[in-house]
Amino acid sequence: MEVSFSKEIESLRLGEGETFHGEGILAITKALLQSGVAYVGGYQGAPVSHLLDVMVQAKPYMDELGVHVEACANEASAAAMLGASIHYPLRGAVTWKSIVGTNVASDALSNLASPGVTGGALIVVGEDYGEGASVIQERTHAFALKSTMCLLDPRPDLPVMVNMVEHGFRLSEASSMPAILELRIRACHVRGSFEAKANQAPAISTRELMADPAKFDYMRLAHPPVTFPHEKLKHEKRIPAARRYILENGLNELMTGGKHDDLGIIVQGGLYNALVRSLQQLGLADAFGESDIPLLVLNVTYPLVPEQVADFCVGKRGVLVVEEGQPEYIEQEIATGLRRRDIQTRLHGKDLLPQGGEYSVEVLSTGLTSFAAAYLPGPATETARRWLDGNRERRAAVAAQLDKPLPARPPGFCVGCPERPVFSALKLAQQELGPVHVAADIGCHALGTFEPFHTGHSILGYGMSLASRAGVSPMMQRRTLAIMGDGGFWHNGLLTGVQSALFNGDDAVLLIFKNGYSSATGTQELISTPQDAAKAHATDKGQSLVHTNRTIESTLQGLGVKWMRTVHTYEVDKVRETLKEAFTSPFDGLKVIVAEGECQLERQRRIKPWIAGLLKKGERVVRVKYGVDEDVCNGDHACIRLSGCPTLTLKDNPDPLKVDPVATVIDGCVGCGLCGANAHAATLCPSFYRAEVIQNPKWHERLWASLRGGLVRALQTA
Amino acid sequence: MNNDKAITLLVCALGGEGGGVLTEWLVETARHAGYPAQATSIPGVAQRTGATTYYVEVFPQPIASLGGRRPVFSLNPVPGALDALVSSELLETARQIGNGMSTPDRTRVITSTSRSLTTIERMQMGDGRVESPDLLAVVKAFSREHHVFDMSAVAKECGTVVSAVMLGAIAASGLFPFKREDYEAAVKAGGAATAAASLRGFAKAFEIVGRAQEQAAYLQAVIAPPPAEQTTPSVPPQVLQRFPQPVHEMLSLGYARLVDYQDAAYAERYLQRLAQVLQAEQAADPNGAHGFATTTEMARWLALWMAFDDIVRVADLKSRASRWQRVRGEVKAGDDDLLQLWDHFKPGVPEFAALLPPALAQRLVAWDRRRAAAGRAPWALPLKVGTHSVFGMLSLRVLASCKALRVRGSRFAVEQAMIDRWLQGVVDGSRRDWALGHEIALCGRLIKGYGATNERGKENLLHVLDHLAHGESPEASARAIAEARQAALADEAGTALDATLARHGAPPRPVKEQPIRFVRKPRPAAPHTF
Repeated sequence: MEVSFSKEIESLRLGEGETFHGEGILAITKALLQSGVAYVGGYQGAPVSHLLDVMVQAKPYMDELGVHVEACANEASAAAMLGASIHYPLRGAVTWKSIVGTNVASDALSNLASPGVTGGALIVVGEDYGEGASVIQERTHAFALKSTMCLLDPRPDLPVMVNMVEHGFRLSEASSMPAILELRIRACHVRGSFEAKANQAPAISTRELMADPAKFDYMRLAHPPVTFPHEKLKHEKRIPAARRYILENGLNELMTGGKHDDLGIIVQGGLYNALVRSLQQLGLADAFGESDIPLLVLNVTYPLVPEQVADFCVGKRGVLVVEEGQPEYIEQEIATGLRRRDIQTRLHGKDLLPQGGEYSVEVLSTGLTSFAAAYLPGPATETARRWLDGNRERRAAVAAQLDKPLPARPPGFCVGCPERPVFSALKLAQQELGPVHVAADIGCHALGTFEPFHTGHSILGYGMSLASRAGVSPMMQRRTLAIMGDGGFWHNGLLTGVQSALFNGDDAVLLIFKNGYSSATGTQELISTPQDAAKAHATDKGQSLVHTNRTIESTLQGLGVKWMRTVHTYEVDKVRETLKEAFTSPFDGLKVIVAEGECQLERQRRIKPWIAGLLKKGERVVRVKYGVDEDVCNGDHACIRLSGCPTLTLKDNPDPLKVDPVATVIDGCVGCGLCGANAHAATLCPSFYRAEVIQNPKWHERLWASLRGGLVRALQTA
Repeated sequence: MNNDKAITLLVCALGGEGGGVLTEWLVETARHAGYPAQATSIPGVAQRTGATTYYVEVFPQPIASLGGRRPVFSLNPVPGALDALVSSELLETARQIGNGMSTPDRTRVITSTSRSLTTIERMQMGDGRVESPDLLAVVKAFSREHHVFDMSAVAKECGTVVSAVMLGAIAASGLFPFKREDYEAAVKAGGAATAAASLRGFAKAFEIVGRAQEQAAYLQAVIAPPPAEQTTPSVPPQVLQRFPQPVHEMLSLGYARLVDYQDAAYAERYLQRLAQVLQAEQAADPNGAHGFATTTEMARWLALWMAFDDIVRVADLKSRASRWQRVRGEVKAGDDDLLQLWDHFKPGVPEFAALLPPALAQRLVAWDRRRAAAGRAPWALPLKVGTHSVFGMLSLRVLASCKALRVRGSRFAVEQAMIDRWLQGVVDGSRRDWALGHEIALCGRLIKGYGATNERGKENLLHVLDHLAHGESPEASARAIAEARQAALADEAGTALDATLARHGAPPRPVKEQPIRFVRKPRPAAPHTF
């Protein structure tokens, strides 16, 4: 990737007593090094991409420390990497986006958790839940429960988060359980500071190699018959050991309140700040978090320490459990614990708070107001009620003032994105052949499901599109289309999709977007990314270079794909014809279209400094921009319905006779050529022009242009 | 302000606008000034041009005075507990206000007036844009105070990105207890390459927000924009005399358009047609209670239909010197830069047949139909004409000079016949009821564009006219036509129009013939044998 993390890498080098300033996820990265981590792996995805991206770029420093960093092919391979900690006293950390990544990793995680670990194993997951999330709304908690792994959910305060990384490793070692550290989106991106410690070079490392492998030990395999004792070990040895560690090291924080110690709130660490703000709104806490109601902050949400919870609850009139998402695992466990101990404290949670959805301050305050109203009648709840009612009334008032709901603004393809033209071509192909079932996938191309394309019937997971049509295509008269990115292809699609379709002799059409990077997750590199050498040798740094790496094509040929076409995505006409050919060809079997066009984000990062350099040296530069003739544009906007490019927008019609706005191309157009290609492929109105502005032209160009210009001007009318 | 409560700021931006950098600057500024602060965001895939927000809290007491105590900040913005909302896009500002974020007793709103239109707004067949004055009215109604200016214009002027402009606006608003130097120090510390441009944008916004007076005037101008200066072309006074005054402006525009499009004789035909409408309208509304609205609308739509776009017209528009200058400005070509200009054309058989006499045209069109029926694509000629070149310009001028062919061509006759049907509809409708005639006149909006778009518009209009204009009562007919007109602009496939037609008991539009292509369904896969 062309993004530079040099500033972030500097932060990783901070020494004892220096102050770190930055985002939460970078603080976690630094904490891994402070904890003497020996190996790090993972698969990118918001909101934890930075962890791996920064470490991959910091390779020279990692080599210095002896830390091995691996950009894994998917989350399953990252989880399997933790196998190193089964036998050896190596601390390892892996990272991915949850819940999706944890789903992919779950086989390896089960097989890791069963034998247990010697060296600390920490899984840093981005809990992509609530506002801003891009995945299914499920909890990582379930995986911790089913595989018996510790689950840390630290208070989103940098010193606490960093501390919990170090404790996470020790907790894992003390209990032999892998530990998951979950961070919500806002916690990953929170900006704060902490006092750094020196980084620890691991005792066994890429610089200090082990001489011999461990002795054979059947107990370290996840294989019967030892899986039966493993299960026993989990509840007889490991959970008790973890509970001991949590208690002895005070991982969960008890914050005793002054005024109302006959009440209590048990909260997931990650929700602590939202809870405190809610308490502040009700006048039950001050600016520094001093709460009138005692709090038990669970920085470790699994396993719970039953005696700690019981001690907290006993003697209180009521306790509220603040636990985000469904089902309420923590509340249920607490309820069972209290019942077994016959503690009569009334327990609240999902009865007052919503079952699902993010616990924002407003949501929490609604539940908290009910809780306070039941136990603390008084003016506090009145102020809160007025505030909450005010919010509702204001929303209604704004809605009433605007005559219709505001249009949504989902994410879309970037300006000049090479994937947009394929959706244009697909729309045009379907106009001729009729609609087809489109199995969509995870990746930038999933943005094709939004307007103006609305393309895609299902999304079953990353790289799953081809597999997900296996039941549809045999049942349908027309052929179906599966769309996959190169990211999804390598993550999973090659095996679950291509191999399966070939083995079963399926009649299927697969379109692979070969843009060269795993782009939706932040343009990370893949095995099929153009090599640095290709980038260095290209005379025109602006051209797409993905054709220089043919790993996908040779892999498909090697597997036995017989029908394969490569198209350049911006050639809409050609793409449409190729799609039509695939949909109508008599060839019975897997038909693969490789749609080539390098990620425009990456290209622009390469082009901009190159152009700036050329201009600085006074060299010739050609800049391309498309435009619309306002007097020719018919105001029908068919071009926009075929593109959706952010720079192809509207302006008032300058013609006083006409009323509908005309299309216009605004600054920011990168001259990708789609407007022209669409105008031809779809026979749109003839209003598009392509302008090539030549800066610093050669002397003969200038001469020729002035001669020609004279003639052309003589021909023009006013 | 309460001295023991965090100062809260919500920033709305679109992906790629530098909102992340802005929050970094703000946290750095607080650090420089010695105050506790926290910022967070939810960028996710919103980086890809979607809407996103950033949230910042600052404690109003210096760290030094807190004796080691640390305030607990919220990571979520709290509706109704915001001190400021700053936004680079007007619709996003209104969206957050609609989410209940801003309150008239607490929140100051600093917003750009600039719009980045959403895809939904842009893709409509008519005008789907949300009205900016409506959005600004929301800003005014639900804020304690508001600062409104065009941030994107300021950013462009200063050669920077909108985040620097937003920082300047925040600084000038006095929201945080920081000095201007603190902000500037943060920008300088951020990075050397673009710092100078960022500081320019910062300073400009700082100045604008500082001058509240001028802004109020600006806001007024956006809410109630002064009527745009329009130069009405001059037409012979004897032309104007034939029509009442309210029609004059539109009539002048229409008349001039048709002289430019064809010649004075064709413009005279326009006047004669319009006179029929005027006569019918006067009969329906003898006192002119409706201000001759039907005739005025017909003056507009009739001129546009009569000046239907064809290759002659397009070639003429594209080969004018004024167009070359306009494009030079649009693509920002410098004085020393060379400009090469290519125009995309794809004329098909219908475009050429339009200029041929009917008999010849029919044979050509029939040939093309046979091609299509045989499963081949209709014939068309994709062209990229170099308008900057002598050959390109010469070709355009030759085409543009084919006006004489136009009036003898097959399309001209067809268009005139259709225009007359519509005209008769307006006249007959007006005779039954003024409102009915007016609604039929407004249907002229359905006619626009080229090729299939244009065909579809005309077919829709005539279908509506044939089946909805003769309902039981003229009121019901007028209502039905108004609904159908709206529906016809709702979607390309005409789904909404068909539903409206069905609701009013009209027959569906005739199904278009389309070649059917059979594709063999492969045999079920044979089981594998090993």
